[in-house]
Amino acid sequence: MHFAKLVFVWLLVHMVVGGYSQNNCNYTLKGKIIDEHDKSALEYATLYIKELEIGAVSDIRGNYKITGLCKGTFTVVVKHVGCSPITESVSISKNTIHNFYPEHHSEELIEFSIQEEGYKEERTVAKKELSAKEMNQSRGKSLGESLKSITGVNTLNTGNSISKPVIHGLHSDRVLVLNNGIRQEGQQWGNEHAPEIDPYIADKLSVIKGADGIRYGANAIAGVVLVEPANLRDSAGVNGALNFGGASNGRLGVTSAILNGNVGKLNGLSWRLQGTLKRLGNVRTPDYYLKNTALKEYNFSWALGYNKERFGVEVFYSQFNTDIGIFSAAHIGNLTDLQRAIEADEPLESAEFTYEINRPFQHIEHELFKAKAYLKTWDIGQLDFVYARQYNLREEYDKHLPRNDSIAALNLPELQFEITTHIGEVAWKQNRNHAFNTQIGVSTIQQANTLEGRDFIPAFVKYSTGAYLIEKWRSKNLKFELETGVRYDYIFQEVYKWNNWIREYETYTYTYNNVSGSVGAIYKPTSEFSARVNFGMAWRPPNVSELFADGLHHGAAAVEYGDTNLVAERAYNTIAAIDFEHNKFLFQLEGYYNRINNFIYLRPTLPATLTIKGAFPTFNYSQVEAALTGFDFSTKYEFAKNVTWTGKTSFLWAYNLTENDWLVGMPANRFKNSLAYKFADLPKLKEPYIALGVESVFEQKLVPNNSDYVDPPSAYNLMTLGVGFSIPTYKKQQLVVDFGINNLLNTVYRDYLNRFRYYADELGRNYTINLKLTF
Amino acid sequence: MKTIKNLSILAVALVVTFAVGCKKDDDTPTPSTGGGGTPPQEEEVITTLILTFVDTAGVQPNVQYAFRDPDGDGGNAPTQHDTIRLAANTYYNASVQLLNEAESPAEDITLEVQNEDDEHLFCYAPSNTNVSIARTDSDGTYEVGITSFWSTGAIANGETTVTLKHQPGVKDGTCAPGDTDIEVTFQTEIQ
Repeated sequence: MHFAKLVFVWLLVHMVVGGYSQNNCNYTLKGKIIDEHDKSALEYATLYIKELEIGAVSDIRGNYKITGLCKGTFTVVVKHVGCSPITESVSISKNTIHNFYPEHHSEELIEFSIQEEGYKEERTVAKKELSAKEMNQSRGKSLGESLKSITGVNTLNTGNSISKPVIHGLHSDRVLVLNNGIRQEGQQWGNEHAPEIDPYIADKLSVIKGADGIRYGANAIAGVVLVEPANLRDSAGVNGALNFGGASNGRLGVTSAILNGNVGKLNGLSWRLQGTLKRLGNVRTPDYYLKNTALKEYNFSWALGYNKERFGVEVFYSQFNTDIGIFSAAHIGNLTDLQRAIEADEPLESAEFTYEINRPFQHIEHELFKAKAYLKTWDIGQLDFVYARQYNLREEYDKHLPRNDSIAALNLPELQFEITTHIGEVAWKQNRNHAFNTQIGVSTIQQANTLEGRDFIPAFVKYSTGAYLIEKWRSKNLKFELETGVRYDYIFQEVYKWNNWIREYETYTYTYNNVSGSVGAIYKPTSEFSARVNFGMAWRPPNVSELFADGLHHGAAAVEYGDTNLVAERAYNTIAAIDFEHNKFLFQLEGYYNRINNFIYLRPTLPATLTIKGAFPTFNYSQVEAALTGFDFSTKYEFAKNVTWTGKTSFLWAYNLTENDWLVGMPANRFKNSLAYKFADLPKLKEPYIALGVESVFEQKLVPNNSDYVDPPSAYNLMTLGVGFSIPTYKKQQLVVDFGINNLLNTVYRDYLNRFRYYADELGRNYTINLKLTF
Repeated sequence: MKTIKNLSILAVALVVTFAVGCKKDDDTPTPSTGGGGTPPQEEEVITTLILTFVDTAGVQPNVQYAFRDPDGDGGNAPTQHDTIRLAANTYYNASVQLLNEAESPAEDITLEVQNEDDEHLFCYAPSNTNVSIARTDSDGTYEVGITSFWSTGAIANGETTVTLKHQPGVKDGTCAPGDTDIEVTFQTEIQ
């Protein structure tokens, strides 16, 4: 009986599998040729299939492709200048992605991975990703600052240590941040609230839009930031990396370690441990120190996975803890103080170097627990189950202790938020073996926010449920692709707002439901050229701050009023892009027109509000029609052997159609140019390079008149210098070294998107070093 | 051997994590208690400033003028914003009182300023009023300004701005350093 059952299962499996493995000769083998050490793409590497006597050459991004293969096992030889040839045996039974990892010194066996999916995921809005080199150079910076290397991404800063990503002019609730597949839920509405994520967790940082963005939620009006850790180890053994970063300005020290393992005997059990410690002191502009700008941070995470062929489970836990000093001179009592601060050449409070953090400061903790299980549904797809819990604590300590001594002695934060979020998701994704590909899923979120101290953002509970369907299609010759996604969300929110007049809580109830969607196409007539177009619809409900803000915002020297009658914001975004690469030339142009109905913004209103501290300008959260038009443009050209020029340009026009005026607070237009020279390898020094970069930022002139206390700061040019190399240590281990000098000429400048531009200059010259030892 | 080592690393990691991990928000938001169960409160609120004038010669009656914004900054407009009316050619002893009337009973903030008099300074800036104002109290080193002496001249119509500066560690007897806690401008008539 038992035996009969086994035979039956065996037959069933073979029937299912057999159904998809007809013997034709139309399979494609493609993938990347990647440097084993720094994971950079290798261009002009040659591939040769011995048995068939055919071959291919990798392009500027290391991609290769061989089509028209029959089922079988082939011997592939990969050669690249400076590497010994490697030979691997590859089995083809479907369209296959196979990456090759040639090495500069060849005693070791080559590791490789074959992805199950038959085709590289393409998107109708290109995914923008930090390269391995950019990742290493940005180590030590915050998540927001790291993302700045991506064209079209800027940051909204509060001083030097709080920075939020701004994508095509939009930020905060309009940008979704995915930390290890889970939407980051903290107090994202605030301008001075940066994403609570340790960038060292990330193996990859990228920005996506379009149909794949639909998966993660409705409110990704600007896009989705993906923070992706590397996959857990899939073969027995232990590896890891040790990072050290330092910077002269603020005497930054940061160290981070990561350890990956796979327990050979318990086949399929793998684990990871990771931790980061960071300490920064008062930073310096070219002329003076900034008082109370120190920072400390400690983060850790662990992951545990059990992966079998047909199923797997993965558990992840991370903690982020930080204390951030807030520049003292930016704390002002009233408009008279602000006027004095603006008129002063130097901040009114002088400082020396110290690591000490005093009031005002923020203490932030963020905790993420995630459990994920997957089940392969035969040969056709995979079913994912995800549960995650996040807890976010934000404490804000004012500059001065309360006057009352007994209360002051408690040293409590003047403001404290705690937000707890539970997320559940079930998703099914079809394997990409056919012309069509389907993804479908449902998710649900439960969230509760509480506060103590000053009345600012009310307590609330929020429940939301969403469902999505993403469908992709590609033509047989792979020249044409379509993708479309649709999502429906229902949100219920109950807000408990303290009413100081009747001295009771009042309950406000909101329900929202709406559809978001995306449709796009890619046309790739040749391997050198592609054109993409995408139309997306997205919406987001107003956040509690926009609904309930009520009173003086000390940081902004303004009285801000929310509007409890605001409706959801809705965006219609059209993006078109062309990519062209030929020999040593790369050209990418992406244009967009984002039309937003009921765009929520702070509108200045009259009269000024009279308080016991004097009169303050008044702002009301209002809704207008907005249009954000812009383009990103990047080019790369290899002039001569080893000399590469890279240019990146971002322009944006953000217009308020209702009031026929510009929108305030949008990033200025900018150029970035860099020239890199790669030296020849030495036996003990691999991939030495030197790079010089210039970033030119225009003055933001597209602002409404009289919308600000001071005009936007003047244009500036910043120079950076980078030098780096890697040193092979033992066997496959290596030490990657990157030196940098930021603000090489010690330029005095202020940036429009720094909220402290009224008070102080930006940082002066900064020498940085990043070491990464992989083992 | 290696497996045992790996497993022990894992075990240690798990123990450490659960020992320090999984923080909880003890408060559950409810319609009747809001977030933490206690109403949100602003520690530093000053709702009311009262100036009391006493004629040193005892001829004129004592007078009080006030600025009052019972719900604090923003929200509803101030409910009282008096014009200071003083007799011409008269010497007055003046004193300031600060209240937080959002509390019940009202909290006297003047006492707290008095306790931290080395960190606080009242500044009086008359314009077009024919009044000269001098602070008459001291923290031991510098003046404080809770009490002051006003001498009025001829009939005039102008303004007086009363400012309270918070100057922890930076008090130097002038109005320049520190943050502004209060800044109220009173219409002033000398009659």
